[in-house]
Amino acid sequence: MTQVVVAESLTKRFGKVVAVDGLSFELEAGTITGFLGPNGAGKTTTLRMLLGLAAPTSGTALLFGRPYAELERPALRIGAVLEATDFHPGRSGRDHLRMLGQSVGVPDSRVDEVLRLVELTDAATRRVKGYSLGMRQRLGLAGALLGEPDLLVLDEPANGLDPEGVRWLRDFLRSFASHDRTVLISSHVLAEIAQTVDQVLIISRGRLVVESSLQDLTSRVGGAVRVRSAQPEQLEAALTKEELKATASGDQVLLVHGATSERVGEIAFAAGIPVHELVTEGSSLEEIFLELTAEGES
Amino acid sequence: MIRQIKAELLKVRSTRTTIGLLLGMIALILLFTLLTGLLASASSFSGTENQRQFLGISDLAGVFSALAGVMLVASEYRYGTIRPTVLFTPHRSRLLAAKTVAGALAGVTFGIVGAAIGWALGYTILTSRGITFALNSGDIILLVLGGLASVALWGAIGTGLGAVVRNQVGAVITLLAWGFVVNPLLFGLVPAVGRFMPSYAGDALVGLTTKHLLSPAAGGAVLIGWTALLAGIGFALTAQRDIS
Repeated sequence: MTQVVVAESLTKRFGKVVAVDGLSFELEAGTITGFLGPNGAGKTTTLRMLLGLAAPTSGTALLFGRPYAELERPALRIGAVLEATDFHPGRSGRDHLRMLGQSVGVPDSRVDEVLRLVELTDAATRRVKGYSLGMRQRLGLAGALLGEPDLLVLDEPANGLDPEGVRWLRDFLRSFASHDRTVLISSHVLAEIAQTVDQVLIISRGRLVVESSLQDLTSRVGGAVRVRSAQPEQLEAALTKEELKATASGDQVLLVHGATSERVGEIAFAAGIPVHELVTEGSSLEEIFLELTAEGES
Repeated sequence: MIRQIKAELLKVRSTRTTIGLLLGMIALILLFTLLTGLLASASSFSGTENQRQFLGISDLAGVFSALAGVMLVASEYRYGTIRPTVLFTPHRSRLLAAKTVAGALAGVTFGIVGAAIGWALGYTILTSRGITFALNSGDIILLVLGGLASVALWGAIGTGLGAVVRNQVGAVITLLAWGFVVNPLLFGLVPAVGRFMPSYAGDALVGLTTKHLLSPAAGGAVLIGWTALLAGIGFALTAQRDIS
């Protein structure tokens, strides 16, 4: 497996405050990784160090084997969005993308292409100050996609998006990563990205507390998703097809391990099986997340 | 580097700020030329020095090109576009060099427009008032080309100042206070030092012969020195600072 991102003992101090404390992780090509932690855990600082905007106090961050700033035209390999608001309000969305594109030799035709991709063609020549937050998020994403990157780094991309926007983003990222491309996406809300990512890095107070696949994390939850249906056999078959383990628990009830209730509900829906009850038993993913990230505090 | 300069010039052109500065410049040059040209007595236009000063009103363009240069850096910090900009051009010295060149090139535009307007109106006023035109071709070339060079360098100086101060309001106030308060004060009180201030180096560059001013060549060199100094400090600071 190719390591697209390698962070080694990344540390960032601001005076006496240690924002990021000896963080090490690796991202393989073709994965979608959720970078999770409460606000102030050091997520954004870590991403800034990965992208060469901030210098680590110690440690190294390599992307495609080299520090970001030492790559030749990194914007052609790595797309990143750190803030949803990084636009001049008086400049049109299209000109914003053109000025970025020109600095790395991306033609205007590619600008129009990414505008279509994020569904902003109609608003392209309007000033950004008239854009909604969702449109700004998509314009930021368009900027990250200009150079046809193999790695996408997004800081809290779902912030302020309406449910429709979150769904759009999820579908987009899934299709992006399906071409053996890599995504690192940060969030302070696990639920927001639980349906999108393959694996999670959870940090708290600048330290890595969990590095695992989403499935392992889900099974750590201990509990299970309890689902009741009039067609338990068909449902069990549908779940097995998705590589989920379901055990019968009394009449018409299945207990599904290692999955979220969202996922079970979606599988049932896709298989056309009516569900009469759908409950997460034991602690939820969100509770585990809060528990893990609270460990450092005392 | 050419790509970066193109991108920076697009930044200058793609907001209304630049148009606003150009219009402000045109209005101010027209106003000052008209007021001076119509209100001052005919005798105050006699001789080369008086006419240089009158036609040199168009060098007010330097204030506006410097403001455009400041915006080229400071507005990136103000609106956060510095983040995508640096992600696309992580070599910060290359980025600032491109901005400095773009600031100077924008300054050339300001200079040409300003000179065209100032000269057209000023010359019309002089001839219509029956005042003998006293400048020879050498004077004119120095006044026009020197003025253009100084307005262009002011654009680059503004870019350097923007990189040093970063805060847009702070940089604009610094520029105006330095150009309109500190420079004249120093020149009035300690002319031996004040003549090295960029405003007076610019006056020297266009051939003004006010007492204490440097020679045109020395004035040009001093103006280039200021540009290099500010760009150098801007480079040094930008290379070290994290971008939040």
